[in-house]
Amino acid sequence: MSALPDIDALPALPPKRADWLFRIGLVIVITVTILAAIGPYIGPYDPMLTTVRVAQPPPSLVEIPGLLTSWFAGTLPYPPHFMGTDVSGYDIFSRVIAAPRTDLVIALTANFLSLAVGVFLGLIAGYFRNVATELLMRVSDVMQSFPVFISAMVLVTLAGRSTSNIVIALAFVYIPIYIRLTRAEVLSQKSRGFVEAARAMGNSEIAIALRHVLPNSLTPALIQSSVTIGFAILLTAGLSFVGAGVRPPTPEWGLMISTGANTIILGEWWPSVFPGIAISLTVFGFAVLGNALERRYEDG
Amino acid sequence: MAEPILKVRNLAVGYPTPAGMLQPVKGVSFDIDAREVVGLVGDAGSGKSTTALALLGLARAPGKIMGGSVKFDGRNLLTLPDEDIRAIRGRDIGIIVQNPRAALNPMLKVGRQIGNAYAAHNGGSASDARAQAIEMLRMVGINDPERRVDTFAHELSGGMAQRALIAMALSSRPRLLIADEPTSGLDVTIQAQFLDQMWQTVQMTGSAILLVTQELGVIANYCDRVLVLHEGRIVEDAPVRQFFAAPRHPYSQDVLRLYREKGSDYPAQVASGAPVLMQAKGLTKNFPIRHSSKVVHAVDQVALTIRKGEAVGLVGESGSGKTTVGRCLVRLVDPTDGTILFGGTDLSRLSNAAMRGYRSRVQIVFQDPFDSVNPRWTIAQILDEPLRLHSTDDAAARRKRAAEVLALVNLPEALLDRKPKGLGAGALQRINIARALILRPDFMVLDEPTSVLAPRARNALIALLARLQAELGISFLFISHDLTTVRFLCQRVAVMYLGQIVEEGSVEQVFSAPQHPYSRALLSAHLFPDPTHRRVDHPEAAALQGEIPSPIDLPKGCYLASRCGFANDACRSTPQVLTQQDGRAVRCHRVVAGEI
Repeated sequence: MSALPDIDALPALPPKRADWLFRIGLVIVITVTILAAIGPYIGPYDPMLTTVRVAQPPPSLVEIPGLLTSWFAGTLPYPPHFMGTDVSGYDIFSRVIAAPRTDLVIALTANFLSLAVGVFLGLIAGYFRNVATELLMRVSDVMQSFPVFISAMVLVTLAGRSTSNIVIALAFVYIPIYIRLTRAEVLSQKSRGFVEAARAMGNSEIAIALRHVLPNSLTPALIQSSVTIGFAILLTAGLSFVGAGVRPPTPEWGLMISTGANTIILGEWWPSVFPGIAISLTVFGFAVLGNALERRYEDG
Repeated sequence: MAEPILKVRNLAVGYPTPAGMLQPVKGVSFDIDAREVVGLVGDAGSGKSTTALALLGLARAPGKIMGGSVKFDGRNLLTLPDEDIRAIRGRDIGIIVQNPRAALNPMLKVGRQIGNAYAAHNGGSASDARAQAIEMLRMVGINDPERRVDTFAHELSGGMAQRALIAMALSSRPRLLIADEPTSGLDVTIQAQFLDQMWQTVQMTGSAILLVTQELGVIANYCDRVLVLHEGRIVEDAPVRQFFAAPRHPYSQDVLRLYREKGSDYPAQVASGAPVLMQAKGLTKNFPIRHSSKVVHAVDQVALTIRKGEAVGLVGESGSGKTTVGRCLVRLVDPTDGTILFGGTDLSRLSNAAMRGYRSRVQIVFQDPFDSVNPRWTIAQILDEPLRLHSTDDAAARRKRAAEVLALVNLPEALLDRKPKGLGAGALQRINIARALILRPDFMVLDEPTSVLAPRARNALIALLARLQAELGISFLFISHDLTTVRFLCQRVAVMYLGQIVEEGSVEQVFSAPQHPYSRALLSAHLFPDPTHRRVDHPEAAALQGEIPSPIDLPKGCYLASRCGFANDACRSTPQVLTQQDGRAVRCHRVVAGEI
């Protein structure tokens, strides 16, 4: 072996832009995660309680420093409504930062359920190819041919509008993606030399599948997780928006947009725009993080 | 003495890495004379390809040419403006890259591609370009060039596509041709055809060649002079005979050691009374074709006998079925028919579960060392796996044994806690061998274990295998297309063609006097690293014509009949049988009858 590495194998330096996006994505994802833990307790108001100030617009940007100063000095009669209040008098800011507790928890749980089931089925479908696994793939084709939103809506409506049913519905619609990703990776990994070597050593097929093929086939599914979590948040919000999601007055972005949508025609834009921005940023954060991870994986 | 056409001085190429600037080429100087064939040899990563590209003022991004000069025709290519150097590339300096088959555009007619390459540098009308294309195709020995000029790449056979590529590279009659490993991954017969054609064509165009390669056989047979590149520097620059006879630099000596020490002796035969360890009879494997009732006849009635302590070579071109035979013997592939007797047990009849008990005694080492180890495991875990499955030792004893086999293959114990990433092909292949040895098997299949290794690592591995065979008395089936290696390692050899063994005998019998026309062709195409018998100085008649028949629709008579110069009507109509004769076997009725 020469001391010099093979120049063909030298990794290209990752492009700067991707790194920058990766960091933004990471900051957003971490912020949303922290809010999911403590969001309901740190807002100026209880997100579940109404105030007497109904449909109050948010202060303008120039007023905010003054408001903060007097709030901390204790000279305000009540804490400021940074994003205004809605028609029922809920403080929108407190609800926007409390919502990840609902949205992220639903999305995370759903994602990990479908990741676990999808990877398991994908491993079986890729490793043991037979009539049963071909049938499984055709079923998953059919599932994928329905728009996820419609499938999820129908499932929740049929099963009843509870948080656990929403989680199950979301998990169900994302399973085919994980089956397909894992199966493709298993198909390429199972023909590799170390798998054949493991067979030549006397491993059973199940041991080969679990010890050699599975760990080497996980990466695409794990990267997809980041993207899926983002879209699951969007789907959770979407379901509430059409009334098939969590019940009011749970602080939830989609529900807040739905409530605000009724009054937007009166010029009251703030009850729906602020949760809308929150959803966009969150989905964007998870998506760019997923993209950046994928690029890093492809570069080795 | 005429002025050299290319003068390279202190050429340096750098690559930025996170750890700082890396210099794969650091100060290379050499000359190439007109009409000279110069070989550039070195390990993977020694900077060969980078040097070749830099001669054209190119560097693969993010690399940069750091300094030096490349004088061609008295002009420094590194300081020329872009337009001027573009005019030189392709016109005055031609290039043939690795994997020639992929280098033809499938969407354009062959003549158009050659004509475009010509017209880009010489101008002229479309009909001029076409006439030139026809002329070049004729020069590279393609029959009926007026018709071939209008075919697409997929309509040409592999051999013709390669000729077309040579025609394209030489269409402007460049003064220098840079060929970067043009034959890596090709079979020996095709490799020889390609290099012969390239060599003959430059004799007509008068070009000089810089031939980048890892193969000493290619150097010895085609080159006038050798440049040895080691760690980014030229460490030796010598005429080819002097290089093989008296290499000066320690690296060159290392590369050539095996050939120099072993000389021309054949390995000693195993005593004829040695017990038979592995015996395959009537081994047959057909692979069904999807959506068809036809099958691929991969292995056809193969019989092999391997005695205790014996190394048997199995040679043949790709597609001959030799790898499938190896896999059948260790039951990674279930044979369609036949028996595999191993110490009295027929392995082909065992259930998968019963076979697992024999896995500790028959082992296999694969061709691609990088692919054969689980990339997520440490070397310790990789070596531990067979022990965990087959021994009752505790973890400490197993780790001790792992360290033992590492020492046996000349690797430091410190590797145990590393992962495969970052290890070279040679080291990884030793780990694969260590893993196969760890259970002290009686029999090992080695499936082209040296084919991806650089010359020095390959030599070291061959020496290691020879030592293991002598010390441990393991029997090997050594599958290889590299006849030089087989000649060093094996006592007996079997030649396969289209799933059948066509000749079998001791290495000495087969190598010194091959009988079957196919063995003769294979041996004559093989490039032995011996510059005193250069192929280009002793032109041999093309031994085989045409292409290998499809293993799906096999010919009725002898499989070689369509390509064999000795074939008569009887050959074409009657299937041939393997006939035993003075300790060797041959599948050719004309040889048996003493006619050829």
